[in-house]
Amino acid sequence: MTEASLYLLQQIINGLTIGSTYALIAIGYTMVYGIIGMINFAHGEVYMIGSYISFIVITGLLAMGHIALPLVLFVALLVAVLVASSYGWAIERVAYRPLRNSNRLIALISAIGMSILLQNYVVLAQGSRDIAMPPLISGSLFEFGSLETFAVTISWMQVLIWVVTLVSMSLLTLFISRSRMGRACRACAEDLGMTNLLGIDTNRIIAMTFVIGAALAAVAGLLLGLYYGVVNPFVGFIAGLKAFTAAVLGGIGSIPGAMLGGLILGVTEALTAAYFPSEYKDVVSFGLLILILLFRPTGILGKPEVEKV
Amino acid sequence: MENHFKRFSKTLIAAATAMAISGVAQAETLRIALAGPATGPVAQYGDMQKIGAMAAIDYINAHGGIDGMELEGVVYDDACDPKQAVAVANKIVNDGIQHVVGHLCSSSTEPASDIYEEEGVLMITAASTSPSITEKGYEMIFRTIGLDSLQGSLAAEYIAGTVKPERIAIIHDKQQYGEGLASTVRDQLAAAGIEPVMFEGVTAGDKDFSALIAKLQKADVDFVYYGGYHPELGLILRQSAEKGFKAQFMGPEGVVNSDLAKIAGEATEGVLATAPKSFDQNPENADRVAAIKEQGQDPTGPFVFPAYSAVQIMADTIAAIDSTDPVEMADYIRNHSFDTAIGTVKYNAAGDLTESTFMVYTLHADGSKTAAQ
Repeated sequence: MTEASLYLLQQIINGLTIGSTYALIAIGYTMVYGIIGMINFAHGEVYMIGSYISFIVITGLLAMGHIALPLVLFVALLVAVLVASSYGWAIERVAYRPLRNSNRLIALISAIGMSILLQNYVVLAQGSRDIAMPPLISGSLFEFGSLETFAVTISWMQVLIWVVTLVSMSLLTLFISRSRMGRACRACAEDLGMTNLLGIDTNRIIAMTFVIGAALAAVAGLLLGLYYGVVNPFVGFIAGLKAFTAAVLGGIGSIPGAMLGGLILGVTEALTAAYFPSEYKDVVSFGLLILILLFRPTGILGKPEVEKV
Repeated sequence: MENHFKRFSKTLIAAATAMAISGVAQAETLRIALAGPATGPVAQYGDMQKIGAMAAIDYINAHGGIDGMELEGVVYDDACDPKQAVAVANKIVNDGIQHVVGHLCSSSTEPASDIYEEEGVLMITAASTSPSITEKGYEMIFRTIGLDSLQGSLAAEYIAGTVKPERIAIIHDKQQYGEGLASTVRDQLAAAGIEPVMFEGVTAGDKDFSALIAKLQKADVDFVYYGGYHPELGLILRQSAEKGFKAQFMGPEGVVNSDLAKIAGEATEGVLATAPKSFDQNPENADRVAAIKEQGQDPTGPFVFPAYSAVQIMADTIAAIDSTDPVEMADYIRNHSFDTAIGTVKYNAAGDLTESTFMVYTLHADGSKTAAQ
């Protein structure tokens, strides 16, 4: 393979990696919007908190010594998911449920306020500086191409990210399509009022939506924390923005849309940085968003909103 | 006789009271604003400035103040954000403070300096190195640190003369400090006949540099100059090591920070950086270093002693001209030399030091640095 095609392949691999993490966080946005029609701006901060919790647990367990790395990571994942889910549930109860019946704009302001609160809470609790962790998973699965020209590497960390996101998204899809709770979720997404009238406890379903979204964000938090090795209280803002873009790109309200949007955004970013000066990465990503919204306002996989009379 | 005495006694009492009141008024405090990031990703640089300035203030107060007048350092947080810096500058003016040590980030100092110049507030920055700050012909603005143009020239000289790499990439963070430095290095290298193969920007706050690193690998780069701060360079170093990209990296004093080693780990070893001379190693500062360590603070940051000197300069000026008027002080500072913790300080007309204070260092994985060969 020529060097140019190897380079392209490497960038696509990088793009898919970062794209899958965007997809994980984007699912949270899309599920909440699908059911109660509001954008949970505090979702990025839940991802950030998931990252912090994983760091704390991993550092703590490693300091205790002599524990196998897979076990450490598994425990960190469990704790991060639990803590982030409780945050997700609490955020819904405190910031959104009381405002369920008021103006959408008010709920939006409440969401932004919650986001700022969480950011500054973490600043007070952990300090605003970067917290770093040494690389835990290193080395590559395989490399091909010779070292004189360009070599494509797929690192173990990237493989881990792909596997975990694939598993998480499959589990979610199975849950939504096959289980009773999942069916209730789909019903709520279609028509909240009617579902309520049919006797399903919509409050519980909504709370569960937030919890699932938060859990997936925590998974992304652990993965990206391991991948980058650095976290600070402000990563949630940028990650949330990118994930929100991905959700809108793929069609807000549609879970496969969030997954697709995440991957497309990740690959677009990587390819832009590859062939143009890196400065234009974000310009192209958001430009793409604008284009898609101009021609297909509901996103790629979104269902056009039908006015029911 | 008695009438005279009565009149005279009233005058005596009036004079005594007046002197007593003015005696009390003399023991006032002079507030000096310490403006810099107290929060945000580069807060530890703001800390260095604070440590140095407060150490000088404590020392002066412990030795009787300036003619009995005590100094008080008041911290203002601009989070290294230009918009917040403007708000802070306005607040300082409204609070009636006329002497500022700060700001830290060049992108904050520049807009703030406009306000200080307009309001007649004296400002000495211990850390902002962007040349444009002293190019506006302002009277009230000074520095106790060298210029980026000097730091950039030093780096370019070192690269062209000592390292002599084959393929150079210059990366910056699109901010005033980083991009300014990167441009200076590029221009100076061009003057020496060396063309970089890449000149690109990344976004500060970005975490993922895999695309950039793949690009550097493809271009077969063996030397990277990074203009910017340590959070991004640390990640670039770390991710380069993970991807097997080996090159010599070099950065400015914005990356000289023990946090760089925490983020990049082993990849920090051997990274070059230009930084202000280590004033804490100077034997003349031994007492000051000890005093700072006694407070549990770290005296090794590159901005600690420049900030210390800024306060010294202000104090010496006030003592010399017996006035705290900023305009008079600025005039005095411009025309006299001072003996400070960073050596003898003399200013040119623009408010810059006449002697460069930068040196090339090699950084190590344990967070320390040594002079480069």
